[in-house]
Amino acid sequence: MNPLCKPNEHALSRRQWLGGMGGAAAAGALGGLVSPAVGEVLKQKEKQVLFIWLDGGMSQLESWDPKPNTQFGGPFRSIPTKLPGIHVSELMPRMAKKMDKICLVRAMRTQDNSHSAGVPRIQRGDPKNRGVIYPYFGSAVAQLMGPTASGLPPYVWVKPGSGGFKPTDAGFLGPKYGALAFGDGQPPPNFLRPATLSPEQDTARNELRRAFNFNYAQPRRKANNEANTYVFDTAEILLKRREIFDTSKYPQKEKDRYGNHLLGQHMLIGRKLLEAGCRFVKVNSYGWDTHGDHFNGTVSLVNRFDQAFAAVLEDLEATGQLDHTLVIAMSEFGRTPRINGHAGRDHWPEAWTIALAGCGINAGAVIGATNAQGTFVKGDEYDIGHMFHTWFRALGINPDAVEFDNGGQPLPIAHDDMGVIPGVLA
Amino acid sequence: MRPIIFICALLPVLAGWAAESLSQRIDKLIAAKAGRQPLAEPASDSEFLRRVYLDFTGQIPTAEGARKFLANPSADKRAKLIDQLFADARWAETMADRFHVLLMERRGEEEEWRKWLVASFKANKPWDAMAREMLAPEGTDAAKAGAWFFITKRLEKYGQNPTDHPGLTRDVGRMFMGVDLQCAQCHRHLTVKDYKQLDFQGLYAAYSNLRLQNPNDTIKVKWAMESLLKKEMEFGSVFSETKKTTGPRVPFGVPITIPEFKKGEEWAVKPDKKKGVSGRLKFSPLREIATRMATPENPYFARNIANRAWFLMMGRGLIEPLDLTHTKNPPSHPELLDLLAKELVAHKFDLKWLFRELARTQTYQRSSVLPKGGAPEHLFASAKERPIAAEPLLRSVLLATGERDRVTKLDEEDAHSLKSFGDLFQGAFANAPREPELAVTPTLKAALFLRNNEALLWLVQRREGNLVDRLIKLKEPAKIANEAFLTLLARNPSDAERAMVKSFLQKQPTLQNAVGDLVWALLSSTEFFVNH
Repeated sequence: MNPLCKPNEHALSRRQWLGGMGGAAAAGALGGLVSPAVGEVLKQKEKQVLFIWLDGGMSQLESWDPKPNTQFGGPFRSIPTKLPGIHVSELMPRMAKKMDKICLVRAMRTQDNSHSAGVPRIQRGDPKNRGVIYPYFGSAVAQLMGPTASGLPPYVWVKPGSGGFKPTDAGFLGPKYGALAFGDGQPPPNFLRPATLSPEQDTARNELRRAFNFNYAQPRRKANNEANTYVFDTAEILLKRREIFDTSKYPQKEKDRYGNHLLGQHMLIGRKLLEAGCRFVKVNSYGWDTHGDHFNGTVSLVNRFDQAFAAVLEDLEATGQLDHTLVIAMSEFGRTPRINGHAGRDHWPEAWTIALAGCGINAGAVIGATNAQGTFVKGDEYDIGHMFHTWFRALGINPDAVEFDNGGQPLPIAHDDMGVIPGVLA
Repeated sequence: MRPIIFICALLPVLAGWAAESLSQRIDKLIAAKAGRQPLAEPASDSEFLRRVYLDFTGQIPTAEGARKFLANPSADKRAKLIDQLFADARWAETMADRFHVLLMERRGEEEEWRKWLVASFKANKPWDAMAREMLAPEGTDAAKAGAWFFITKRLEKYGQNPTDHPGLTRDVGRMFMGVDLQCAQCHRHLTVKDYKQLDFQGLYAAYSNLRLQNPNDTIKVKWAMESLLKKEMEFGSVFSETKKTTGPRVPFGVPITIPEFKKGEEWAVKPDKKKGVSGRLKFSPLREIATRMATPENPYFARNIANRAWFLMMGRGLIEPLDLTHTKNPPSHPELLDLLAKELVAHKFDLKWLFRELARTQTYQRSSVLPKGGAPEHLFASAKERPIAAEPLLRSVLLATGERDRVTKLDEEDAHSLKSFGDLFQGAFANAPREPELAVTPTLKAALFLRNNEALLWLVQRREGNLVDRLIKLKEPAKIANEAFLTLLARNPSDAERAMVKSFLQKQPTLQNAVGDLVWALLSSTEFFVNH
């Protein structure tokens, strides 16, 4: 027998084409139009992920792990939170009141202090080097869990700058598991139906296309036509949800609550995408690499994050979505306790914090600690590999049993020498 | 003693096969392996016609061509068409297209490279000669300089990555021997016992020794300077402390001894960057690798190209993945791959001959309509649907919509120029750089393009003399259906399809829009999108 040819590859070829989507969703796609009633996803309580990426490195000392009145503490005070004995930076007044909803891991110690290597290394979970390029967490979830019943693309990315299809995140999983990026919150090219085409005409021509496809595909292998049907239907579903990207229609009050800045508005779009049923939503903020004038810069950066993060948690909780949405807020590393000659902080992977909430997470827990000056982790320290184990478990995926299949090569989905961080999971 | 026994054992086989063509022998082996598995019917004339046109001219047939072929009653029309297409100037162009995508995996385009590919296929240059020109390019010969692109494009930096010498080394193994040695770079391969670290490092000793250079007076393309290799390269596994050394070596071959030269006598022609002299080493690891790799003595070489040619014609390799040849991953049809490789060597790596033999097989000429009860892919009991690359897809779309001439005449800057469409189709249908295009992969990007792109929809608007215009003038739904199907799908519609078209046209408010939508629906159909 050909060792590279696993029997399930043939049986599951359709699944493979469809980008790992589950049976239920596939059936929906095959039934022609997939137009889930709004809120269907909420009803089904499918697990989702909100991944907030603060690119450049958020300072743990000016956010989750303040050390006021110490050598490296900086000028800001700390404030008490909803959790007795736990303080956060005064730059996070809103989150201070919500600390009982989230979980902090203050004992992160990771391996890379450069951006170019650190960003992918962290988002790929820094597994053992096997000479292959691992998928980003979003691509991994897209492959392992597929789209939700909404049929919407499973991995979307709201970010400043360029948008479109970002295949490289997917690593060895292949481009179909890459991210669909909404650059500056805008949808991808060719997203909208041209004005010259009426909705009725569009529906009619697509019905005809489907009918032709049915005739063609019936006596042949099903996979190609099913995959083709799926991508055409996804395009249609996206079009139906185009109001998500028209922020001018959002109530002003809602916009104000998230904050009238990029991170706030993008977080709001991110929430709408989660509501619409995207499996994995990454909301990206840039500009956190404060090597100079760190403290002035941090006031606005952290304040904006505080506002947007508190708002999205509040909304997810109000709709009940938080129960099945894993929320992660993090950077590629923290920032140095030592303050440099430009009143800045540099890259510090040695001791930093990741914030988690939602699905499967032990709300109100603060795991691990740094020493009095915040320079290093005191006690058990955790790498990003531990975090990946913890996230996968929170999503109901057992990293000790589930593997990636890289063209016949089985690969662990998280670092094989690491495990779950104790105390994080509910 | 042994060779005699070997020949004796083969005699009856040779006698029996002497009268048979390769294509007949292929079909026998496929049928033998299929056993009781029913085989698909022969492809219909339409299926066959569209397939050979896409494979050998890089576009679908015209409606007129289809009409004539379907009406032609002669029994040998398929064989004649194959001969005709193999004699067509487009054959070399199409082979160049297909090998470009196969070898470069969407890293980019280059004019000299394309010229070299086209000229090579036009002259029916043997594959071993083509391979040697790519593996150890002779920059000063203008006719061969284009072959540099295989190496130089891979030495260009992209993103923040360092020059990817390991990637180049890997691709030499993949493309010319069908072995992906990447995982053996830093240690023995963990899942493939046959691949040793030495196999990667021996190639790496030659291909890590290159530095990218800009064009100059004597070499009109980007080229790479080969440094002097004085001693064997040291390497060690990350799993152990032991250090080993190797000189240049073809994977699984014998090491090449690095000769010693007196200082100053290493060069036949000394390099001079200022004067644009590339120099010529007396001992060039690249030339040593090229002559030892691309030869009948290296069994991997012939088997790799035989497998890749089979893949290009049948949509699936006899060995899958194409670049994972090793003892624990045998071909689906071992005797067949042996036969193809042996015959290719006997025919001095004549690819045109091989492709023609493959085109003549019943295996290639089978329908993609499955036999009753279905058929597993690896038996080749039915034709496998294959992807149509961005370029032939564009050519087909322009030909079918009747907009080719208009688009070709437009200024490059125009939104509907050939260049604009070329960029749009590459953007919508080509894979990202370094992603092989091996199978049909519908994407959301492509679907959005087909559904909503204004330039694409422009093609299905009525304009003097284009397909939509021609169809509207036919007036009668049945005639419109016949002509549309013939033009886009090279076949006549079934009665049911004719009825579908009729009811669609009658329901729409204007015939003008309705006919455009009919053309769009056919253009966006799975049937149009794949080579089936």
